[in-house]
Amino acid sequence: MSHRQRMVGKIIKEGMFGPGEAVILLAISSISRLFLSYPGMLFEIGGPATWLTPLGGLVLALAAIFVLSLVLKKSPGSTIVEINEQAFGPYLGVAVNILAIVMVLELLGATYIREFSEAMLVTTLRFTPISVVDAAFLALGLLGAYLGIEALARTARLTYLYVLAALLFVILALIPFWNFHNLLPLLGKGPKEVFILGSLSTATLAELVIAGVIIQAMGGAEKLTRIGYRFIFMGFGLMMITLLDLVLTYNWTVSEEFTQPFLRLARTIYLGRFFQRLEAIFILVWVVVGALKIALLLYATAVSLARSLKLPDYRPLLWPLGLAMYILSLLPVDMVTTIRLDNYLRWLLFVPAYLLPLLILAALWLKGRGARAGN
Amino acid sequence: MINVKNLLKLITYQENSQREGFVLEETVHDHPKSAKGESSPGGEDSHGQREAQAEPAPQKKAPAVRRAFKKPIRPADKANHKQKKKENGAAGESQPAPTSSQTMGEPPISNLSVSASLAENRKIIKKLYGLPANKDIVVRDIVLGTSPAIDGFIVFIDGLVDKSIQNLLLQALMLFAVRPVPAERGQLATYVKEKMLPGNQVVLKSRFNDILNAVNYGDTALFLEGCAEAVLVETKGWEHRGVDLPTVEQVVRGPHEAFSETLRTNTALIRKIIKNENLTTELLTVGSRNRALVAIMYQRDLANPALVAEVKRRISSIKTDRIIDSGMLEEMIMDTPYNLTPTILATERPDRVASGIIDGRVAIIVDGSPYVLLVPATMYEMLHTGEELYSRWQLGTFIRLLRALAFNLSFLLPGLYLAVVLFHHEMIPTELLLAIAGNRERVPLPSLVEVLLMEISFELIREAGLRIPGAMGTTIGIVGALVLGQAAVQANIVSPVLVILVAVTGLAGFAIPYYSLAFSLRIYRFYYIILGATLGFFGIACGLFTQIVLTANLKSFGVPYLAPIGPRTVPGADVVTRLPLFFHEKRPDYLNPQDITSQPDIARGWLEPPAKDGGKDY
Repeated sequence: MSHRQRMVGKIIKEGMFGPGEAVILLAISSISRLFLSYPGMLFEIGGPATWLTPLGGLVLALAAIFVLSLVLKKSPGSTIVEINEQAFGPYLGVAVNILAIVMVLELLGATYIREFSEAMLVTTLRFTPISVVDAAFLALGLLGAYLGIEALARTARLTYLYVLAALLFVILALIPFWNFHNLLPLLGKGPKEVFILGSLSTATLAELVIAGVIIQAMGGAEKLTRIGYRFIFMGFGLMMITLLDLVLTYNWTVSEEFTQPFLRLARTIYLGRFFQRLEAIFILVWVVVGALKIALLLYATAVSLARSLKLPDYRPLLWPLGLAMYILSLLPVDMVTTIRLDNYLRWLLFVPAYLLPLLILAALWLKGRGARAGN
Repeated sequence: MINVKNLLKLITYQENSQREGFVLEETVHDHPKSAKGESSPGGEDSHGQREAQAEPAPQKKAPAVRRAFKKPIRPADKANHKQKKKENGAAGESQPAPTSSQTMGEPPISNLSVSASLAENRKIIKKLYGLPANKDIVVRDIVLGTSPAIDGFIVFIDGLVDKSIQNLLLQALMLFAVRPVPAERGQLATYVKEKMLPGNQVVLKSRFNDILNAVNYGDTALFLEGCAEAVLVETKGWEHRGVDLPTVEQVVRGPHEAFSETLRTNTALIRKIIKNENLTTELLTVGSRNRALVAIMYQRDLANPALVAEVKRRISSIKTDRIIDSGMLEEMIMDTPYNLTPTILATERPDRVASGIIDGRVAIIVDGSPYVLLVPATMYEMLHTGEELYSRWQLGTFIRLLRALAFNLSFLLPGLYLAVVLFHHEMIPTELLLAIAGNRERVPLPSLVEVLLMEISFELIREAGLRIPGAMGTTIGIVGALVLGQAAVQANIVSPVLVILVAVTGLAGFAIPYYSLAFSLRIYRFYYIILGATLGFFGIACGLFTQIVLTANLKSFGVPYLAPIGPRTVPGADVVTRLPLFFHEKRPDYLNPQDITSQPDIARGWLEPPAKDGGKDY
């Protein structure tokens, strides 16, 4: 690592937060997709066994964290961005960083902004222009990213109890509507769909990449496995429970028709004549989770770009990256196109989350072998 | 060219200077070092003075029509500032830094030493105090009844001194001092101090600066012929308000004493509770014109030394002409003055301050202010009153939970009402919806205007109720509110539901124990009204996220404002809920006190089984 690289790593002030906060931040961020149309897409893959699809994804994500920890331990004090450069050299490394990490995170941020905005339009603000809601989400993301990862982690820590309470409330309030026959056939559309396609779909977590970028703020590589395993168990556990709730409440054939399955669940709650139609309350939770996710993505994008370009601070990049995110988010014609793009992006996410750490390991191993042969 | 330069400066990257300067570190052992590095009040003083010097002086230009906004200097900006100073030229650097009094245009004559000539001293005193125009300064010539008789004079300020003490002093000097004095006139002051004066605090000073400070604070100065020192006798005794009941922070159970305007009374009220030799009171002077005394009180063996050094550093670095109340000092020393949320706790209750000091906090008492500042403070402490500790834990916890509800209602309720009424009708059950709609039918105003009208009226009543002279103020406030509410409903200007809502919001606001926090929530309420009316629940959620992120980013003297929950530190037994007292084993972890243990695991010794020899003698 060159002197300049070391200096850059030190100058970007990220703040620090504890493992507990890191777990909650990443877990909350990872369940944000539950509030969008993603569960509906999973139902198309898994049918009645959709709730089992996160199992395979969980195993894959755990493996990814293990590989990532191996990569990060090669150079303590660095993030995935610097290690990338060490493995692939200064030019190819920067190119890989920008293409595989910065670009993917940026695109992902744009689709999330759009999807959350669309969700708001569908739920409540029917006559509001999409650009207004989009801009509001972007503003929240910019504020969160500007204040830094420490403030975001604290916000996650302060709000997660409300998020969990809301999820738990939805699950418990729907018990009267459960029909256990909806679970049959137990393996749904078949083991291949459930355990291979479903696993691959659920395993694509942006948080695997984000964890590599913010690793220094989380306390270094040695804490990654502890944080990573916990957040994955928490995130996937919540996902399984919510999917199970959805399957039990509605038949899978009905569930795959919903644009916003979680909204549908919330709307179904009926606790007597006085307490019905409570879904509007969930908007509060929804927006907070969405804003956290967008802020985290924007932060990770800006920090990874600043680290790739050896800039001393990430904040000046927030505005251009945020503006680009805003423009990109408005490019898809409608919600259906956005969802389709999101599906493509999910496959693209495999590159930085799974492929890149393996490639880095291989490159470092080859380099080491070359060096040993030279000696 | 200048414009082009400014434009270039605007679009080029400037190093970020948003980071805070002081963070209360985790480990206690690292502190002495950092304290040395950070505190050194002298060094900081000179920096501050140099900065004041480096600031562009108005010089002899035509007076500016509009005063330009001057960005305050943050600790993080200091490096840049120094750099700028160097660029401005070394001329300013080479000159010695002027003292604060010099910069404020006071005569340097007060730096003179006392002369052996009585006439000379009288002349200087007259000049310094502007006599004879200055009517409440008394210079009285006396002759000491010693053998041989010695001429002298005393100086004091009429109204600040206790006449009975002074009579005693004059009697001692003029009537009872019938003993021979030493021939060596230089030692006369020491002789008078040791042998002739019965006053409880007598000191000798030779510089006019010290003498003036003492006389201005109610002491009497005695000058003697042939002696180059003045004898200062403590004769303080001005009119003041006594220790009274708390007016803002009232409790049902607990002490009913409140601070008053006298510094010494306030320090004594705290000492009365903490009878401990480690309780330390340090004095600083702030304000070049009013020279307000500021006392810092802390437990020497508990408070983090870095925290104490930081408090002293911040207070001693302040350059201003007046600090009249602790509110002014609070704004000068708080970490984030641009945020609406208060980050320093001001209280009028000595028991709360004492409790805070025993936790490891630092109390700041300003002479003339009945509110004592307590730092660092977290948001959760601002929702405590101290009374929860005095009542049983179940009652305390219930009150805390009620207060948490009040906290949320006080700024969210009107906004939520608007969001529901304007955007989410489906949430309201049909019967209620019909009732609200029936009431609203006759009201011609839009809901937003209706809410704003009522809220602003309520704020006006509250403010007017405070300002109306006499005890009728609160009565008129309540009557006004009732009459206004009733009349507004009858005139079909507002709906009755809204009157109930505004009343509940007002009650919730009053249930928040810390006035400053309740006030800021009153202002936040208007943001949420606008957000709820424009974007419904989405707007409220956006506001909440913004407020949470901004508040989570706040710090109070290096301690995160939302500790111990955001960030999570060791959870205490007294944060949101109030656990039984015997579980309060640790002091707040985020304060990093020198001793974290508050009490042993088994605080109730009587629960332990008695030993065979009959048990300990408690």
